[in-house]
This record gives sequence, structure tokens and C-alpha cells, in this order.
Amino acid sequence: MKKMIFSACLALAGFFGLISTVNAEGLTLEGPPKIAMLYISPTNDGGWTQAFDEARQRLEKDLGIKIQYVESVPESASAIRPAVERFIKRGANIIIGTAFGYSDTFKALSEEYPNVAFLNGSGTTNGPNLLSFYGRTYESQYLCGMAAAAASKTGKLGFVAANPFGQVNWTINAYAMGAHEINPDATVTVVYTGAWNDPTKERSATKALIDQGADVIGQHVDTPTPQLVAQENGVYGTGHHRDFREFAPKATVCSSVWVWDRFLKTELEKIIAGNWVPNPNGALLSMQEGGTDIACCGPNISEEEEAKIMAARDKLLKGELQIYAGPLYDQDGNLRAAEGEVIPDPELWQMDWFVDGVITQQ
Amino acid sequence: MTLITSWIGNTPEFAVPFALAALGLIITEKSGVLALGAEGLMLVGAVAGIGAYLTFGQTAVALVMAMLAAGVVSLLFALMVLVMRINQVISGLVLVFFCQGLTTLTGTLMGWTNQPVPGLPAIALWPLSELPYVGRFFVQNLVVYLVPVIFLIAVWALNRTTPGLRLRAVGENPQAADAAGIPVLGYRLAAIVIGSALIGLAGAFISVLSTKLWISNMTAGRGWIAVALVIFARWSPWKALAGALLFGCIEALIPQLAASGIKLSQYFVFMAPYAITLGVMIWVAAAKRENRSQPGALGTPFIREERT
Repeated sequence: MKKMIFSACLALAGFFGLISTVNAEGLTLEGPPKIAMLYISPTNDGGWTQAFDEARQRLEKDLGIKIQYVESVPESASAIRPAVERFIKRGANIIIGTAFGYSDTFKALSEEYPNVAFLNGSGTTNGPNLLSFYGRTYESQYLCGMAAAAASKTGKLGFVAANPFGQVNWTINAYAMGAHEINPDATVTVVYTGAWNDPTKERSATKALIDQGADVIGQHVDTPTPQLVAQENGVYGTGHHRDFREFAPKATVCSSVWVWDRFLKTELEKIIAGNWVPNPNGALLSMQEGGTDIACCGPNISEEEEAKIMAARDKLLKGELQIYAGPLYDQDGNLRAAEGEVIPDPELWQMDWFVDGVITQQ
Repeated sequence: MTLITSWIGNTPEFAVPFALAALGLIITEKSGVLALGAEGLMLVGAVAGIGAYLTFGQTAVALVMAMLAAGVVSLLFALMVLVMRINQVISGLVLVFFCQGLTTLTGTLMGWTNQPVPGLPAIALWPLSELPYVGRFFVQNLVVYLVPVIFLIAVWALNRTTPGLRLRAVGENPQAADAAGIPVLGYRLAAIVIGSALIGLAGAFISVLSTKLWISNMTAGRGWIAVALVIFARWSPWKALAGALLFGCIEALIPQLAASGIKLSQYFVFMAPYAITLGVMIWVAAAKRENRSQPGALGTPFIREERT
């Protein structure tokens, strides 16, 4: 849910960001930095929030600053506002949110407290002291697609996805493109469950895919259910959010993971240094900038294939590889990116087409 | 071929929670208490089942604890509607919200989120399990096979035993039942607790036996579909079982269609179960057979010595 409508709004956010006057002075904190985080769900949710909490613990070590947090803050102003204001009263001057639904309240609060720096993961609003950030999950999922094709015997990959919009579709296309690097004939059959968190639907989707012959199951949903079902049925899978070998050590060959601390460390250092001017369009993070990475490789991947995956990962980390670079055609033969071009972000958020080898409804 | 086999094979797993929850609702409502809290009680069963399994390591214990937990929580509902005579619609809705909060809080504090459990092994009913197409329908866990038995017992108890007949009398005309010396509130209390225990079992089936893990709010509206199912079945257990199978079929078919690459609009498919629920309700309303199927005193609180 939290990441859901992000796609549609980013273009708008960028538009308004351009009109509003950018404060050239930038934000300089009054007093020593004091950081507080708001989590959308509990720290032990096994996915999204747990990844943020792990980042928080690494940040505390790296920056040498204690970071306060509060769990399970729902996406409503009446819950967000008191939590943030309590932190600010206690002296916090950097507030980090973790949900799409915090966007509007964070925008309002950032205007009321111009001397406090606001950051929001998967948010859509930006301002002179507010920065929203999200990861280019298609980069890490591209690598997972490579791992999936490497682990597959049949070349039939399955993918359990939440909802058919841009930021899910871009992982699916990237997954297929990654798979084609290893096995040009690989196919990715997609089942959308229509929900981020419905393990019952995820289980039946995974079972259906396995029944139809898929032997590696990728996922862009929040629970580890697809990995558990893969393990029960003796096939493989790739995880999302965190290293899902924790749940299915025999099945999970690769996971797309969040490494928010890599981005937040540099950004927080910039804020602490003073004169912080956030990107008015928000930060859509490549692997090079932090945000996502992979936990690889689990069982059934040869050393040679692992080396290939790691080589691609190195390129992404160095910013030498663009997934959505042309020439790129969709499965109907329409040119989506010409030679030498890269698909711009607003078009990525609206992605509603698929590359060859992706089998999907709609 | 694979599509059909796998579709039919997966149907019971979806149908059983609907069937058990609908039966629980029917038992409660036959006593004249309108029960809308199924969604909440299923959540209680789901979290209690997983919690009990993670604590005691026994699936049977987990299922019993789930039924007990839902029964205990339903006492709160009984207090509201029987003793305090609060509006039954409001009480039912409040129960759902209360249970959503309660289960999220408990499960999270105890760290039960995303903890996998093994469930029960599937048992093949030979030779039925060897049949083409429908074979996998007969490879299910023990609880699935128990569902028809539970229905048989419930129908027999409601129609053929004295307590069952009295319970229905209480639901049809509590004043008359009271005059005949039947303890109205006692029967209603029993109906609420027994019905809720079955609904709790439905929740535990989803978490312990079907999904094999727990996350907050995992029933995802299935309790509401059960409420609709009861109206659709016009308070008849067997029709409710048939309706549950129908809904199970639809839910099981959706991922099968996608996995076999059949082109259909995604949004249409997501909408299908709810659209069908709506359609069925309209059909039932339009059919308007003699209106004797709904318990006469459904939704009315009982106040002794007062004319209604």
C-alpha cells in the first residue's frame, strides 16, 4: 500500500518542485543533530520496516549518533503529527519517515518546522527541507532474474507480484531481461495478487505457477510466502525486501534487499554539514547511490554463473550499467527506448508494457 | 489439463474457511442474534492458532486454542448484545475493529509475524485420489475431510435435537420460547460461543493449515464474504456449504488463469469475487421466495415481559 500510488505522483511532485523557489541558502541545523524515525509497521515485520530498522542500527554505528524510533505509525495525519511533534519537542531536528502515506503530513509539517530536516522513504512530496526517496528496484531485481535463470532447469520462471503498476512492472521487465542474460529463452509468467500482504493469495499464486511448470519463483510482494511454498515443493525462488534465506534457506537463491543506510549515511552527513539543499524532484536511488542491493547466491547456482551475476552487480554499483537503455522494444514490437537513450523516470513510473518473454494477463 | 486439476485441487483450501465461518454465523443467527463480527473472530482464531502452535508445537492444540480464543472473545460480544442490549449491527462492527487491533497488537508483541509452521500433512483418499481431473480434490488435510462431518452434526443438532429446536424457537419468537420456559439468553449465549468457536476454527484454518504463517489482518475480508454467504444461503447450512464451494472455486481459479497465461483484464479478475457476491445478493433479493428462512427475531434484543 505504502508504495502504491507513489508512481503516479512522482511526476507531479517533480513538477511542483520546479515551480517552488529553491532556497539557495539551504538548511543548516540549529544545534547538534538529533535523528528520529517513524516506522509504518513493527520492526519485526520480516520485510520493509525491518530493513529500515537494520539500516538504523548500522547508521548509529557509522555516524556515532543514537537514533530514536517509533513503530507502527499508521498512514493518517492524526497518528503521524503527534509522533513527529513529540520528537521535535524533545529536540529532534532530523525526522525520517518510511511510508507513502506520510507524504502529505510530512509536507505540512516541513512547512511548519522549517528548521527541521524531513526525509521520507517511498514518499512523494519534496520541499526546501523535505526529501522523499525510493530505490530503483529494477536494478536488484535484474540481478535476481539472472540468478533465477541460472537456478532454473526448464527456463520457466514464475513471478508473484502485487499490483500492475509502474514500480511493480519495472521489476518484472528487469527480471525477464536479467533472466535473458543467462538463458535467452527464459519466460517469466506473472500472477498479480492485487495485494501487498495477502499470504493466502500469494500461496495459491505460487502453487499455480509451480503446477504450470515454473521452477523458480520471483516475487514483488511483502511476505516470504512464495519462498516458503517454493521450498515445500522443492523448487527455487528469489526474495524481495530482505535476505529471504532466513525463511527458506533451501529455496531462496537470491534476494533484492534494501540498504537504506548507504544512501542515508551520505545524505545525513550532508544535512549535518549544513546548507542542505534537497533534490526538488526527490531521490530515486540507483544501486550506486544506495537503496537496493542483492543477497546472493543461494543453492543451485554454479560458480561461473555467480561470477556473471556479481560482474553485473559491480557494473551497477559503479553506475556503468543502465537496465532501461535502448534499443528496447516491448513485446508488441513498439520501440520504447532508442539506441543510446535511457527511459526517463516519469515514463518508468508509468510503465504498462512488457518485454518479450513476460507472460501476463491484461 | 493442469489448469483444471490444479484448480479443483486448490478449491477446498479456499472453500473451507468460508464454509466453517458461514456455519458458525448460521448457528449464532438461528438464535436471533445478528452476527457481523466474523472477520474479527477469524482474525482471533488465526493469531491464536499460530501463537498456540509456536508455543506448544502441536497442530491439534493450535486448532483447539483458536476455537477457545474466539469463543472467549465472543463473550464480549455477548455481553454487549445480550446483557447491555446494544444495537447488534454496531456491536458486530465494533467487534471487528476491536479484534483487528487486538490481534495485530498480540501477534506483533509476541513476534509471531511471518513465522512459518508446518500445518498438517495431506491425506490421499484412495481410490478417489487417482481419478482424472478431480483426483487432487481428494488429497487434502484432515480438517478438510472433517468439514462435511461438522456440517452433518450441526444440521442434525439444529433440526433433530431438543436443544437445537429450542435454539431455533428462541430465534423465531423469543417471547413464546420464554413463555414455554426456555432460557432465551442462555440459548443465545451458547449459540454465540459455539458459532464463534467455529469461526475461530475458520481463521485458524487460514493461518495454521492453509497459509502456514501469520501476518496482521491476514483474513483480508473473507469474514465479510462469509456474512454475505449466509444471506445467500438463506440460513441453510447445506446451501452455505455449496456457496462456500462456489466462492472457493472462484478464488482458486484466479491465480490459475494468470499462471496459465490466459489473457483477461487483471482488474476484472480482482473484482470478480466481490462482483459475484453482489450479484448473488441481488438475485436472492429479487427471487423473494417465502420469507420464512430468515430467523424471525434476527437482530432484535430480547427484553422479558415486553411486547414487540
